[in-house]
Amino acid sequence: MRTPTWLALSALAILASTVPACRRGTDAAAKPTVALVVKTLNNQFFIDMEAGAKAAADSLGLELIVQAPEREIDVERQMQIVENLIQRQVKVLMLVPNGSKEIVPAVVKANAAKIPVVTVDTRVDAATLAAAGATVATFIGSDNEDGGHMAGLFLVERTGGMAKVAVLEGVPGHETADARLRGFRKAMAAAPGMQVVASQPANMERDQAFNVTQNILQAHPDITALFACNDVMALGALEAIAAAGKGAAVSIIGFDAQDDARKAITEKRMAGTIAQNPREMGRLAVITAHRLLKGETVAAEQPVAISLVK
Amino acid sequence: MVTRTHWRHVVAGREAGTLLGLAALCLGLWIATPFFATAANLANVAEQSVIVGVIGIGMTCVILIGGIDLSVGSLVGLAGVVVGTALQRGMPVAIAVLLGLAAGVVAGALNGVMITAGRLPPFIATLGMMSVARGAALLLSDGRPISGFPDSLRLLATGRVFGIPAPVVLMLSLYAIAYFVLTRTVFGRYLYAIGGNEEATALAGVNVRQQKVVTYALSGLSAAICALLLVARLNSAQPVAGIGYELDAIAAVVIGGTSLLGGSGSVIGTLIGALIMSVLRNGLNLLGVSSYLQQVAIGVVIIAAVLIDMALRRRVHRST
Amino acid sequence: MTPQQPADIALQMSGIHKGFPGVVALAGVDLDVRQGEVHVLLGENGAGKSTLMKILSGAVARDAGEIRIDGQRVALATPRAAREAGVGIIHQELALVPAMTVAENVLLGRAPTRFGMIDGARMRRETVALLQQLGATLDPDAITGTLGIAQQQLVEIARALSLNARILIMDEPTSALTERESARLFDVIRGLTARGTAVIYISHRLDEIFAIGDRITVLRDGRHVATQAVQGADRRELVRLMADREVDERIGGGLRNGGAPVLHVDGLTHGTRLRNVSFTVHAGEIVGFAGLIGAGRTEIARAVFGLEPFDHGRILVDGAEVRIRSPRDAIAAGIGFVTEDRKREGFVPGRSIRDNVALPILARLAWMGFVDRARETATAETAVRDLRIRTRSVQQAVRTLSGGNQQKVVLARWLATGARILFLDEPTRGIDVGSRQEIYQLMRALAADGVAIILMSSELPEVLGLADRVLVMREGAIVGEFSRDDATAGNVMACAVGA
Repeated sequence: MRTPTWLALSALAILASTVPACRRGTDAAAKPTVALVVKTLNNQFFIDMEAGAKAAADSLGLELIVQAPEREIDVERQMQIVENLIQRQVKVLMLVPNGSKEIVPAVVKANAAKIPVVTVDTRVDAATLAAAGATVATFIGSDNEDGGHMAGLFLVERTGGMAKVAVLEGVPGHETADARLRGFRKAMAAAPGMQVVASQPANMERDQAFNVTQNILQAHPDITALFACNDVMALGALEAIAAAGKGAAVSIIGFDAQDDARKAITEKRMAGTIAQNPREMGRLAVITAHRLLKGETVAAEQPVAISLVK
Repeated sequence: MVTRTHWRHVVAGREAGTLLGLAALCLGLWIATPFFATAANLANVAEQSVIVGVIGIGMTCVILIGGIDLSVGSLVGLAGVVVGTALQRGMPVAIAVLLGLAAGVVAGALNGVMITAGRLPPFIATLGMMSVARGAALLLSDGRPISGFPDSLRLLATGRVFGIPAPVVLMLSLYAIAYFVLTRTVFGRYLYAIGGNEEATALAGVNVRQQKVVTYALSGLSAAICALLLVARLNSAQPVAGIGYELDAIAAVVIGGTSLLGGSGSVIGTLIGALIMSVLRNGLNLLGVSSYLQQVAIGVVIIAAVLIDMALRRRVHRST
Repeated sequence: MTPQQPADIALQMSGIHKGFPGVVALAGVDLDVRQGEVHVLLGENGAGKSTLMKILSGAVARDAGEIRIDGQRVALATPRAAREAGVGIIHQELALVPAMTVAENVLLGRAPTRFGMIDGARMRRETVALLQQLGATLDPDAITGTLGIAQQQLVEIARALSLNARILIMDEPTSALTERESARLFDVIRGLTARGTAVIYISHRLDEIFAIGDRITVLRDGRHVATQAVQGADRRELVRLMADREVDERIGGGLRNGGAPVLHVDGLTHGTRLRNVSFTVHAGEIVGFAGLIGAGRTEIARAVFGLEPFDHGRILVDGAEVRIRSPRDAIAAGIGFVTEDRKREGFVPGRSIRDNVALPILARLAWMGFVDRARETATAETAVRDLRIRTRSVQQAVRTLSGGNQQKVVLARWLATGARILFLDEPTRGIDVGSRQEIYQLMRALAADGVAIILMSSELPEVLGLADRVLVMREGAIVGEFSRDDATAGNVMACAVGA
């Protein structure tokens, strides 16, 4: 036959290369499999989370699968991944949802399959969960609102209470970003000298942040401070500000404490960032999964401490 | 609507090759993991192919006439937001749905007009619409997703017809209609003729402009239907929904054997192409393959499909 | 024309065999060409001329046989090898890059460089020198796509010269040229042969052959049939050698005059391209439009068929005025149009004969939008039978048919619409002699059936042979009319050029 031979061969070749990886999983029947689904693997934050989770999984004797869609905004793809993992009969599902409300149907399916769900870093919307009659076992994460507030207070201190501030929001509807914004805005509201002149979303992406910041600078060339809901965006903004020659004038605060951001802070190009400790989140998530497998009950909330890095 | 002639057509035609590719893929996965060939997983796979599948119908028609539609992803976002906004303003479900579908049809027709009367190349026209529609969606929704849709609408995702998930039933019905239209009606014949040689078809007295506008409107309609399905599934209309869907749809059409030059191809091939893509993704998820490698895999399949298609064409040409 | 120098053999091909799956294209063909001669290669489509030339130009590998150039055996395994051996080929479809300048095309791939960058001045100088050898005054910086076909052809010849071609193959070079341009081309060829270049000239046009050729080789069915000197050759004998049947080039008479006027065009005007054109065509009549290329013949057909707008004028069909603004209107009025370029406008190549024949009347063959396949097939089969289209079945893709059969499919399409007025624009271009005869017979049969035929053709013998009346056009206006008895090549041509 004509078309199929090559197509089939190439597809099989791809699969064959992955067979060794999967064989390990099914042969070692002793190791239970758990899954971690993050927002995207294009973000250092989640790569760190994966590392922490892997270390814990290895030491506890668990098989860990980590999957993610390409972009943080892709809820549908994340749903599909969760559905497929449910078919895979993973024992515990650890999830960082791309859509706090949208992912609920997937949680419902997990509940039906008797797979406990652990949410990490970003909560699933409580009201939607309740309406659907679904439950999650626990939430592991930082208080993002607190973190935003901390960032705001730092900015006030740094600028002496007088500044024109630009804000880079995250993905609209993402509970994490929304919480950080809430905290930050509370701090701004409490300090009368702080003026928020611009607030725009950049979807947690670096190049979008670059463009949005450039545009903000056009409209408000005299800003003296910038808060970004995550470091990825802060770094993009940093480059736009440097390109405009305003590096010295603007204090930039990010969130997540990625390596690149830490470097920028030591080089005095960025003012500060809020460290969440994704590695610890990953570790805790796997430990919790292990405890759930053993039949223990866990607390509904497991906060992970945040700190300011400056 | 599966008659004996239908099967003979499929078996003898180019779709046979793609079908065999799908079968080989499924066979490979069946061997590689025990989780693939379960009823529940296969139902999932079918459901997961609906989004790309439905858009693929409109995209197949557009590619058949030698055009392309890059705006479908944005139209998915726009139509969903239109439905959501309409419901927020208190309109009844039926009206909201109609408005969403109308948004897709109108945008698609606009594409068609830009291409015929405006003489813009389809690539450029639909690229422009891609931005405009996305912007309109963001404007209309103020950038925030709209959630909380009535149960009647959600049935589109959660309902079952004789045990088969409603979206799958919808997709298969749409494909059956499309197949029928493309092979048996005057409209369908005109599509193939225009794709094969536009000048000769115009000379034969066919109103090529009208055909083109209708075809692009159809593409917009299929994007709008997809939006409804997505909204029902996620219970949320995101203005950023659908980003990248146009490329997936084109991939499905190409894998399915339809030529990007127009004039030859079949909508059944697109269905198989969409299935191949979801089976591949599903399999790679089940095997725990790195997400990065999944992107590579899809790309390899697309390239392989086009290479094979080109090689086949050359062989056909040389022997005649 | 006959070279004065001793007859050195420039090219000798012996025993050339070539087979493709299922068919023997060449069965032991011999050909020898002398230096400085114009050697005409004659034969029907499928006789093997193009295969032989493809082997000579390195595009196709021979199965057996020997080729010697200037006495040396050569392999000619690739087009490049053939070029280096001194073989140049000018195809019917010119292989130029329209967007590039003349100089860039002439030196395509071998542009002179200086320090790694293209040396524009030298390129221009070399190009001008080459063009001067051909007696052409073209601007080396002109964009090739804007030049006329005749000038583009000169660019191609210059290119072949720059590659030092000593054997030049020319495939139907005058098919797109006017008489005047063809005469100029012949001068160029004579210039080339005077310098010792051998020219292999492929053409169907017997007049030309007698004008430019020194010797003729006739191929038929992959075999060498005859080689003769042009002087003293007999036309009818040549045609018989080619087609192995007696054919009369002058197709005996059109129809009795009479028949009601079916088409009356009154005062058709479109800028300067059509100037107050008026004529009448009767049922069963064949009216021929003669004239130079660009005189306005195709424009009339396009205007009447609704492809181009016009400023003033009326069109009356069967005595009643009709508004024709699109091909659909024209088809509804019973008009059909077989265009000049059948590949581009005539049929949909990837679709079957059945689909193509039925396309203009698809709406009529359908019920509520659904196509009645049975009726469609019946229509197509009738057409195949009536027009004697050689095919395995109506499902065969039109792309796979020979040129003559493709043209018949185009005709069938119009007949299926029930057209009573048929415009034919260069209907036998690129079609072999045998099929041509069939098409001529078809035209006569249609006329006998009452169809009014308007024939536009640059092949004067064709027009003279078929038409009941000849209308001559020049620069957008009708400048003369001749009846069948009065029309001769001489006075028609004279009228066309305004002498």
